[in-house]
Amino acid sequence: MQLPVLNDASSHAAHGNKNGCSASSCGTTDSQMDTLPDSIREKVQNHPCYSEDAHHYFARMHVAVAPACNIQCHYCNRKYDCANESRPGVVSELLTPDQAVKKTMAVAATIPQMTVLGIAGPGDPLANPERTFETFRRLSEEAPDIKLCVSTNGLALPDAVEELSKHNIDHVTITINTVDPEIGAKIYPWIFWNNKRIKGKKGAKILIEQQQKGLEMLIAKGILVKVNSVMIPGVNDQHLAEVSKVVKSKGAFLHNVMPLIAEAEHGTFYGVMGQRGPTPDELQDLQDACSGDMNMMRHCRQCRADAVGLLGEDRGDEFTLDKIEEMEIDYQAAMEKRKVIHQAIQEEMDSKRLEKVEKAQQFKQEPKLTTRPVLMAVATSGQGVINMHFGHAKEFLIYEASPEGVRFISHRKADQYCGGDSTCGDGESVLQLTIRALAGCEAVLCSKVGYEPWEMLEAAGIAPNGEHAMEPIEEAVIAVYKEMAAAGKLDEKPEAARASA
Amino acid sequence: MAVKIIESCVNCFACEPVCPSKAIYEAKPHFLVNPKKCTECEGDFPVFQCASICPIEGAILNSLGEAINPPGSLTGIPPEKMAEAMAELQSH
Repeated sequence: MQLPVLNDASSHAAHGNKNGCSASSCGTTDSQMDTLPDSIREKVQNHPCYSEDAHHYFARMHVAVAPACNIQCHYCNRKYDCANESRPGVVSELLTPDQAVKKTMAVAATIPQMTVLGIAGPGDPLANPERTFETFRRLSEEAPDIKLCVSTNGLALPDAVEELSKHNIDHVTITINTVDPEIGAKIYPWIFWNNKRIKGKKGAKILIEQQQKGLEMLIAKGILVKVNSVMIPGVNDQHLAEVSKVVKSKGAFLHNVMPLIAEAEHGTFYGVMGQRGPTPDELQDLQDACSGDMNMMRHCRQCRADAVGLLGEDRGDEFTLDKIEEMEIDYQAAMEKRKVIHQAIQEEMDSKRLEKVEKAQQFKQEPKLTTRPVLMAVATSGQGVINMHFGHAKEFLIYEASPEGVRFISHRKADQYCGGDSTCGDGESVLQLTIRALAGCEAVLCSKVGYEPWEMLEAAGIAPNGEHAMEPIEEAVIAVYKEMAAAGKLDEKPEAARASA
Repeated sequence: MAVKIIESCVNCFACEPVCPSKAIYEAKPHFLVNPKKCTECEGDFPVFQCASICPIEGAILNSLGEAINPPGSLTGIPPEKMAEAMAELQSH
């Protein structure tokens, strides 16, 4: 099945990018996976982490069995116990392999949409080989319908490839922030290697070599490799397009560039030293610059190392150790049920995807408009339709409409700051913060908008729009785009006022 | 002659498998070193293995009671900068 495709050229034009687009990724899709061969797409189509639409249907979970780490990253703090934070490396409850297997089977039986089990920390899974592989070994046997995946910093990867290839693991994620030891020394203060702590450039060089070697070995074994990179402005932002090229040439199938998360209260080097993360614009520009060479992943929610559920939701509280103990699980019966449900979901997804292709092709047939691209925010709870009230949205999906079609750009959190009281920060209301999070967008599509936000959105230069409730997202975005184009709103640059709204 | 793990330990398990003498064991509220078994890695390695992988500054002391990894030595965060950030947080 050919996924709907969308042209990269629009964004290149919009952002003055000179990369052009390679033949492979030009075309017309909003899927990040348009250029994948069918064999790979088959493997990842029900993996919630690999496509924006799949993550609204399928769920994933992480089990925190791997506490130890063999390197230090400047964006990580090893004091990881916090229930109120959602970011990689943070967990509440460390599990033994036995507890992890129980928890996985309990979740799979309770949430039949759960297709993927990942081990992502809170340390490095491959620095805890016994705990990690014991978990994988048992799940391969006892819950063979669950896909397994693992993410690693890569230091111990070459030694683990053989063992990884024995289990039900078809993708591995390697975090590769650089291929240059000079830059590496600014991200990794030390590694533990051959019984010594090795600091600075020397340590970074070993780490980089191990990552690249591990990547090559996985590809040789036929295991899919996704590469994660953390975008750190002023450190590796100028360098990540190069990283993208290198890992693609070695066979990685997807690149996920994520924004740095750094707050002083996390106690990380970057947080305490005031290193800033990228703005949404900077992130998008970099993802677009890389996309000429690589499939880019744009919907990563940077979840916790013990996340449970659909992306963007966390049902971990339902599966604490004491609650799991009380559950009686008949996994054989659960597997039967899961199979039926997975099939039904797959059919629905396929038909929606097909519909999307048709609509995209239809748009292509129409006389081409000559406007600048425009960003729109969408409030949805999933299923590919606009079905959420503005005030209820915890996040918005950002789409770009241009003469080439519609493409998914990213998601933005509405409650970006701590979820505490409604006047967090410098007296800004949640509403003001939400509107600020939508900077750069010129319309917001949702099922309903209240009177107060309506006025504030308009004042910020973001047109509220509740006319497309329950319509498929892409169709609605195209319709609004056409209206804006017809009204002449897309002839000129957007008003500068919106940026400071 | 033995190293000591103190309360700033975050129970990350990293030290336990690298100890050549199997002197480190999981305990509540944090990992501990059996002083009868600890050899300070003498004869096995030129450096303390536990303290070479430990990510927490100050969590492991030598036999003189000194932090093997003093503040700032691992994260690169100058101690005064850390104190400043934490004081800032407390004031909120």
